[in-house]
Amino acid sequence: MKLSIHLLASARSSTPGLLLIVMACVHPWLEQTMARHMGLELPALFLLGWFAAASAGNRLGRSIAPWNANGLPGLFFALSVTSFWMVPAALDAAVLHVGMATAKVASLIAAGALLRTSWSSAGLVIQAFFVLNWFWMTLAAGLVYQEAPQQLCSVYLLDQQSQAGKAMVIWAIAGLGAWLWRISPTALADDAASSPPAPPERHAI
Amino acid sequence: MTQDWRTWASTTLVAVLALCAFAGVTHGFNAVTSDGVRRSDIASTPRALPDIGLVDSTGQTLLLSDYGRPTGQVTFVALAYVRCQTVCLTSAAGQSWLQGEIRSRGLGARVRLLTLSFDPASDTPDVLAAHARRLDANQDLWRFATVRTTAELRAMLDLFGIVVLPDGLGGYSHNAALFMVNEDGRLSRAYDIDRPDIALADYLSRAHER
Repeated sequence: MKLSIHLLASARSSTPGLLLIVMACVHPWLEQTMARHMGLELPALFLLGWFAAASAGNRLGRSIAPWNANGLPGLFFALSVTSFWMVPAALDAAVLHVGMATAKVASLIAAGALLRTSWSSAGLVIQAFFVLNWFWMTLAAGLVYQEAPQQLCSVYLLDQQSQAGKAMVIWAIAGLGAWLWRISPTALADDAASSPPAPPERHAI
Repeated sequence: MTQDWRTWASTTLVAVLALCAFAGVTHGFNAVTSDGVRRSDIASTPRALPDIGLVDSTGQTLLLSDYGRPTGQVTFVALAYVRCQTVCLTSAAGQSWLQGEIRSRGLGARVRLLTLSFDPASDTPDVLAAHARRLDANQDLWRFATVRTTAELRAMLDLFGIVVLPDGLGGYSHNAALFMVNEDGRLSRAYDIDRPDIALADYLSRAHER
């Protein structure tokens, strides 16, 4: 019984690594079209990082906690990384240069892991700030990709942009939806209860 | 208190890293597309033309660096392939328009045109010559050439920042631009392929200043 729990636990912690190997094998297919690259590969790497941090327990969170009060730098990092890889020139570089490809994988996994680690220490207000910023940015970028009259990437054709843009819009809406679903009315109530009491009103002298 | 300081430091570090990464990939917040970044890069650091072996539509051999000598002449360069039915038609039309302007403004001694094919397997000198005839190209003004060996293709495409992809229909899809090799023989400007008028206006205003 103990052994099977141990095996289960080790299988769980090695799953992100296995998934990364699978992704490495299929990455030429994933990067063949812009929609698969932006709509599947980038989010998958991010979710892989999130999943890795989730299965690693709270070790990472504890070790960086003093540097990551309220999850602020962690969430800021995650937002910066996700927005960076929406820049067409960055996407080109990731396909054409192996160094940038490595940086892409590493940064997105780190971003996902930091989001997972920083999430619970960030209060509802900080979470909302980052989620809503990410939402409108991704939505706007998705709309621009769909409408842009010129070829944005050197490695992807003009006619692939609209599919990639649609994928971004879908992710934006899905992300917002997931967050709204997560913050049920109870969570809102809890947050209100845990926030410090309002300062006493000052009276004019 | 210490905790606040550390979080401030790591937040600042993330901000600095993010700004550096964005500045790097956008060439100092100048462009978001690779074409825009290339344009900005060429303008800020003009490129020398290397010794790439070419053969022109008359079968004569030459080096790309022949255009890199400071002759005082300006060359407008476009990259294309003859079978192309899309963006190359725009670039041919643009160079054709430039040829007309060069003639009517009497700039023949100062401005030249060069079309470089990146499909040396199909675009033999004969094919290039037929293409030049169709475009009514004046031999003294407008030259058509391609690389002598496919081994030199990579160097030529890298120099101009052109990415060529098979389009799945037997042709290629590629980005394009109208490039200017300046009086000093350096690749110093890239213009939108459909705006030869801006390229010419830019040349004329700079020539006026000189």
